[in-house]
Amino acid sequence: MKRQVPLVLCFVFGIAMIFTQFSPHSFSQGIYEEVIRWALIIGPFALVLATVTLIQTHTARIRRRTEHWQYSFVVFAGLIVMVLIGIFLKPQNPMFEWLYNNVQLPMDATMFSLLAFFIASAAYRAFRARTFEASLLLITALIVMMGNVPVGDLLSNDTASKARQWILDNPNLSARRGIILGVSLGVISQSIRIILGIERSYLGGGD
Amino acid sequence: MPNIDRRIVFILVALAVIIPMLLSVNLPVSVSEPTQKFYDYVEALPAGSTIMIAFDYGPSSLAELNPMAKALLKQCFDRDIRVIAITLVVDAPTLANALIQEVAAEKEAVEGEDYVFLGFRPGPVQVILGMGIDIASVYDTDYNGTAISEIPMMQNITNYDQIDLLVDFASSDTIESWIIYANDRYNQQIAAGVTGVIIAQMFPYLQTGQLVGLLSGILGAAEYENLVGAPAKGMQWINVESFVHLLIVILVIIGNITYFIYRTREG
Amino acid sequence: MDFWSLIGIWVAAFLTLSIYSVLYRDNPFYRFAEHLFVGVSVGYGIVLSVYQGLVPFALKPLWETVTTGAPEGFIKLIPICIGLLFFARLSPRHTWLIRYPIAILIGYGSGIAIPNVLRANIFEQTRGTIAPFAEIAAGTLSGWGVVEAILMVAGVICTLTYFFFSVEHRGPVKWLSKVGIAFLMIGFGSAFGNTVMGRVALLIQRVDFLLGDWLRIIS
Repeated sequence: MKRQVPLVLCFVFGIAMIFTQFSPHSFSQGIYEEVIRWALIIGPFALVLATVTLIQTHTARIRRRTEHWQYSFVVFAGLIVMVLIGIFLKPQNPMFEWLYNNVQLPMDATMFSLLAFFIASAAYRAFRARTFEASLLLITALIVMMGNVPVGDLLSNDTASKARQWILDNPNLSARRGIILGVSLGVISQSIRIILGIERSYLGGGD
Repeated sequence: MPNIDRRIVFILVALAVIIPMLLSVNLPVSVSEPTQKFYDYVEALPAGSTIMIAFDYGPSSLAELNPMAKALLKQCFDRDIRVIAITLVVDAPTLANALIQEVAAEKEAVEGEDYVFLGFRPGPVQVILGMGIDIASVYDTDYNGTAISEIPMMQNITNYDQIDLLVDFASSDTIESWIIYANDRYNQQIAAGVTGVIIAQMFPYLQTGQLVGLLSGILGAAEYENLVGAPAKGMQWINVESFVHLLIVILVIIGNITYFIYRTREG
Repeated sequence: MDFWSLIGIWVAAFLTLSIYSVLYRDNPFYRFAEHLFVGVSVGYGIVLSVYQGLVPFALKPLWETVTTGAPEGFIKLIPICIGLLFFARLSPRHTWLIRYPIAILIGYGSGIAIPNVLRANIFEQTRGTIAPFAEIAAGTLSGWGVVEAILMVAGVICTLTYFFFSVEHRGPVKWLSKVGIAFLMIGFGSAFGNTVMGRVALLIQRVDFLLGDWLRIIS
């Protein structure tokens, strides 16, 4: 019950999705559509996992009095306020939207914009032409960076944007295609292993 | 080799943004081929066509994607192209809804007739595949709760067969899901506007025609604003961006010169 | 501008500056904003997942089935019950039950991926690599285009060779692999150049907010 049934379910749903995609018969298409509906219904419940994990992590921090444990109360405060207002007043409510626009949005945008500072600092400290390969990476990055902005064209008489486009369209395309092919073969082989029950890590530990 | 305090670099970066912003620098922006292809495809659609726009980005990417989304919406409303907006990203609905309402108000587009925002549904792959069967099976109401059967512009729309172009504004791998499941399985034409991080990986799909056009980050936004004839934040910000890129290039060059000097000295 | 919009701008500016304060060094303002961000984001995610996920896909059909008693509605109860097994995570003794919905979603996802990834990412990408040669044969591609077509095939083969670990990288394989690394480096360089553009754009947007919406120095 604990391991065999999930393996069987995984196999049945996996095989069903493969075969029904190759058969235009109405019975086969009926199964295909029904499985997609099932996935649509089951999927949203997965949010329980993320929420429980977050709550457990911060509850443990408070209980163990780890460093900066007091801030876990801030996590709970933000979470509870958003959930209470959102659930009772709905997401379209102006108060919920106000919190999103003036609290969540600026923090999210700012948090990621910090990377602009760190990327500039890292570029100065670590971006070195130590080897041939590193030099290729560095030169390409500089060309693309200058080709991405109007001042690059101004300084190079329109060469920068053309060089950038050529790099993206040619050597970059080849490298990316190689990666896509490699990753996709990996995805397919892993999917086959999952369906056949060879790969079982998704079952987690325990019996 | 000596390293300056990284906070000095931080200050330089901040100044490289603030000063050009105060001076309102305005350099011309040329248009790249993937942007031109995107624009031409939309321009070739007859009035009354339907575009589905997926706002697959949250606040962390709005700087790059909001300007291009605005420019596209303006183009659509100007040309009487109907817009069905959705999102596969949980933190996007409020942001996307506000953006659509803003442009719609500016262009006097009517909700339910010229555009509709269907909102978010979890599970990207099943949402994409589900809409291939029947959009109403995934979205039975729009974002505000109006039944899809009561929305005038949705009356003759069942699935991708009635969608002339799908545009994904993406900050993550949703664009690959759209390509794999909507383009390949349902033959849906797709164009994309993506963040800087994933621009490079889009080019194989552009060459095969799996993408009919591509807007590349804030540069793509500026180019599109240029094409649509509505210069706004994209044009303004790409000019500011110039100075930060120049600064980073100079920092890299200085870093390398000092590195080689020290390496030579130390033998 | 109304009162709440004004307050909103000041709150947003305070939180923006609190996060930027970490650039000087770690401090309570940053830690406060960082933790608030986590809580608010998850809270927003829960609300949207409930109203845009659980309500239309589970609660509404459940309610309709209960009120109308339509037999076809009961079929929908099966996936709803399977989905409810995610709540088994709350009870340590019954946690294993979440394997059922996970197994269904993973099995479904794997099954759906195999044929579609094969077609979109293997066949289409291979076709794209060879297609220019059909143009060369038809005489529609010449000159520099031929060079680019050859470069593309060479790049793809060399990159794949680098990832091919079933043979030892010696002799010709080693050289092909080295060329593959060169292509990869150009690919990563392109990604870095574009990433810089992306990250800087985020910063510009925040500065635009601070100077424009908050301080009103720029229009």
